[in-house]
Amino acid sequence: MAHSRASWRGQGGAQAFLYLLPSLLFLAIFTYWPMLRAIAMSLLEWNLSRPEPVFAGLRNYATLLADPVFHLVLRNTAMLAAVAIPISIALGLVLAILLNEPLGFLRGVYRAAVFYPTMIPMAAAAMLWVWLFNPSIGLVNYYLGKLGLPRVEWLYDMTWALPAVMISWIWKNVGYLTILYLAGLQAVPTELLEAASVEGAGFWQRVRYVTLPFLGPTTVFVVVVSLINSFQVFDAVHIMTQGGPADRSNVLVYFLYQQAFRFWDIGVASALTAFFVAGLLVFVVFVVGQMERGVFYEV
Amino acid sequence: MRRTRLRSWRLGVAGLLIGLLVTTAVGAPGPRLVRLTFYYPVGVAGPLARVIDEMVAEFNRQTPDVEVVAVYSGDYDPTMQKVQTAVMAGNPPDIAIVEISEMPTLLAMNAIIPLDFYARAEGREWLRDFFPAFLQNSYSDGRFYAVPFQRSTPVLYWNKDAFKEVGLDPETPPATWEDLEDYAKRLVKRDAAGGVQRWGVTISGGWNDWLFEAFVRQNGGVLLDYGRRQLRLDSPEAVEALRFWVRLTNELKVAPPHSTWASTPPDFVAGRTAMLYHSTGILTFLKNSARFPFGVAFLPRKKQYAVEVGGGNFYVFEKIPKAHQDAAWRFIRWMVTPERAARWSMASGYIAVRRSAYEVPAMKEFVTKNPEYLVAREQLRYAYGKIMAPNFQRLREILKRALDDATGGRVRPEVALRRAQEEAEQALGAWLKR
Repeated sequence: MAHSRASWRGQGGAQAFLYLLPSLLFLAIFTYWPMLRAIAMSLLEWNLSRPEPVFAGLRNYATLLADPVFHLVLRNTAMLAAVAIPISIALGLVLAILLNEPLGFLRGVYRAAVFYPTMIPMAAAAMLWVWLFNPSIGLVNYYLGKLGLPRVEWLYDMTWALPAVMISWIWKNVGYLTILYLAGLQAVPTELLEAASVEGAGFWQRVRYVTLPFLGPTTVFVVVVSLINSFQVFDAVHIMTQGGPADRSNVLVYFLYQQAFRFWDIGVASALTAFFVAGLLVFVVFVVGQMERGVFYEV
Repeated sequence: MRRTRLRSWRLGVAGLLIGLLVTTAVGAPGPRLVRLTFYYPVGVAGPLARVIDEMVAEFNRQTPDVEVVAVYSGDYDPTMQKVQTAVMAGNPPDIAIVEISEMPTLLAMNAIIPLDFYARAEGREWLRDFFPAFLQNSYSDGRFYAVPFQRSTPVLYWNKDAFKEVGLDPETPPATWEDLEDYAKRLVKRDAAGGVQRWGVTISGGWNDWLFEAFVRQNGGVLLDYGRRQLRLDSPEAVEALRFWVRLTNELKVAPPHSTWASTPPDFVAGRTAMLYHSTGILTFLKNSARFPFGVAFLPRKKQYAVEVGGGNFYVFEKIPKAHQDAAWRFIRWMVTPERAARWSMASGYIAVRRSAYEVPAMKEFVTKNPEYLVAREQLRYAYGKIMAPNFQRLREILKRALDDATGGRVRPEVALRRAQEEAEQALGAWLKR
């Protein structure tokens, strides 16, 4: 134990650093440096009416905090995470457990079908969803009608635009989560499952008392990945709703894009970026910290 | 023996070719090829990008010393973003068609050059041939910056079959706001569950700020005066106009509260709305797609008939060589000759920007057969310049949010517009005169 730690600190450390250097270089150029620049630019007043930047202190942050649209956007983003993440995790888990059962040759077909949406670029998928959600000729309303449910204006409705975006997001992400859970399921020892069967545990009891506890580490990873994904929603909103009607489906990254590339307010856009990066970092650290307490990694 | 001869023959040809290349590249005096980058949007549905490409190819064939490279850049908003990004990066296009309200923003960025010098060289009659309403968005502080190209006004489309079905005269469109409300009430169709099968009227979203401007003008108000730098989004005339919208969408429920610019023309074609407010630029698309007879009319009046012009203008950019700017002008002048303006109008439904385009024989014959292509031109008598200001995108977003909030029933019209006025005053800042 002591020996291995010593060698880790010694030449092994230098070696590890060398191995990491190429990716560190790229991260520095394309991630850390832009991040620092964004923070620096967030302190400038730099926009269409002031083409030459001047120092503005924290004024851009104050502008953001005073903007009611920013608050609406935060609420929408939080709502998307709070609703869409649990649903997609639950769906991913259920699908993984079902797809882990012996289904014969159909298993491969089902697995491919579930994973397929992950392979389609979101921009292309969003075009499809625009048609699926079309109020008059869309498939979604067609089935709602068949079920005797009221038709919904979906993308053109202040209440339903955000849920429509969520639905497309869940559809897009569930396949990926399913694959992660499927991998996690391979770690569940079969002898424990068999023992449980011998003891008389039914299917759902085995899932609840044997399988789920083993999926802790996978779930931590799944939650973190989903969280990051949910904060980065852009293409679906850009193509399906443009944030509308009246910003009811506007989310952080789309709002950031509007500030930067439509309004050319570089200062405010940079402040938003800094806020976004810091917020996401704090959030992920917090979530991982909280969740890892209840998780054991080794058997 | 034979082989060596062949080889030497080949060598000779190669040498000749190289010699030729060297002389053309260095020695021979010839016209220099100027290569121009040209960004263009297509603001309405339909395969109009192809028409532009064809026209550009024709220009390139006729003009050996200039090559225009046309770059399709999405619809109006993405085009402006592409132009802005290119300008900020110090690599501007030579020519671009940008939405007409963006001129002050382009000026604020020092992105475009005045064109007075070129226009004057064409002679006085050249500029006078353009419809005056189209030139209103071309001037700032008395200088000329923009040549009209794909220009429109909003018009009202109505489905004649739907009119017949509910006992309205299929040849008489609504002439006033009161008519519009009355007709819409009769035209709306609901199923047993109360769901709407056909809206009475659709005032298209997406560019509803543009349509709203027309309603305010019809009611005798003005949202923004560019020359005086004054902004009144919450005038009594504007509030009354928005109340009328909310009456249609929320009280009577004969119009959809929200929609997008691209979704409503297919809705009209599918019979999902009996009347449609949209650009004249979709006329050819509707003609090719609709399976029922439809009409094109002036926007209904309140105190007066009124519309705002719309569409895109040509701009020439700063920070490119003088030779490029000269060549850019030659291209633009070529694109707006009466023949080309007529061709573009027939392909799209946009209004030909010059009077003389309507004297072109092909155009004369075309409009005799298709008189609906003349409605928007006639409406130009009641047309005004479109709202424009530096930071137009933000102003537009603020106004659209107010309109969507109000028609969605979330905020009362007077409150929505008052808030919009406050936000817009802040966004336009020192540019406004108070």
